[in-house]
Amino acid sequence: MMETACASGLELLIDYLEGQLPASTVTALEGHVAGCQRCQAFIASYQATPRILRDATDTPLPAGAQTSLLEWLRKQRRD
Amino acid sequence: MTVVSAQEPSDEALASRAAAGDDHAFEAIVRRYQARVYRLAGRLTSETDAPDVLQETFLQVHRHLPSFRGDARFSTWLYRIATNAGLMHLRARSRRPSEPLDAFLPSFDAAGTHCGTPEQLRVVSRADEVIDRQVLADKARDGLARLPDLYREAFVLRDLEEMPTVDVAEVLGIEPAAVRQRVHRARLLLRGYLQDVIGGRS
Repeated sequence: MMETACASGLELLIDYLEGQLPASTVTALEGHVAGCQRCQAFIASYQATPRILRDATDTPLPAGAQTSLLEWLRKQRRD
Repeated sequence: MTVVSAQEPSDEALASRAAAGDDHAFEAIVRRYQARVYRLAGRLTSETDAPDVLQETFLQVHRHLPSFRGDARFSTWLYRIATNAGLMHLRARSRRPSEPLDAFLPSFDAAGTHCGTPEQLRVVSRADEVIDRQVLADKARDGLARLPDLYREAFVLRDLEEMPTVDVAEVLGIEPAAVRQRVHRARLLLRGYLQDVIGGRS
């Protein structure tokens, strides 16, 4: 079997995390990652990226926006 | 006197009443979804554009409610309208072309090993500890804006709005495998960009 390098696992990462890979590929990937600190670090940051972006862009609806939206929509429906 | 059910009416029940001309039902839909649509609009476009996209979305929802057939879940149908409204809004504006993030894709040495130390590669997972909150918010929005539209819409729906991949596929009208591919590219680009911002570039 071909030896797994960090680069060869890159494009499989999301399929791995979503359970889309065949068992043999999973075994090869996990075997590499278990002995590779760089991959462990990379995967940790890859997995953290959605949460960081989510928290940083979680903008609440401004106060008063609900009333103004409903009023605007009423006007549109009348016109 | 009407006995008020403790249970809120379903989206589909409200949609059916709204389609028949019940304004109260339509406004109940607006109240239920406006915060989510506003947040989605801000992520797809910008905080400045979000109010316009919010208005446009519910105007379109009102117009098209009579054609909502219930083939898809109401929320999926509404998210499709909101996503299209966001993208139409972006295309209608003459945006300055933003610099792509391609330079931030992961790099490897000749043996296929990640460049950079484990500490550098890991630093993004501690972004909220090592970078000022407001700076991080600005950089996050900048990074999102610099993604290609196809990657941004998939990433925003899947990873920021946390919709299941199959639902994102339905909203975007593509296969789940294509959603995963686009989300993956977006994660790689944004991860690399944040690593650079934090100063962990190898």
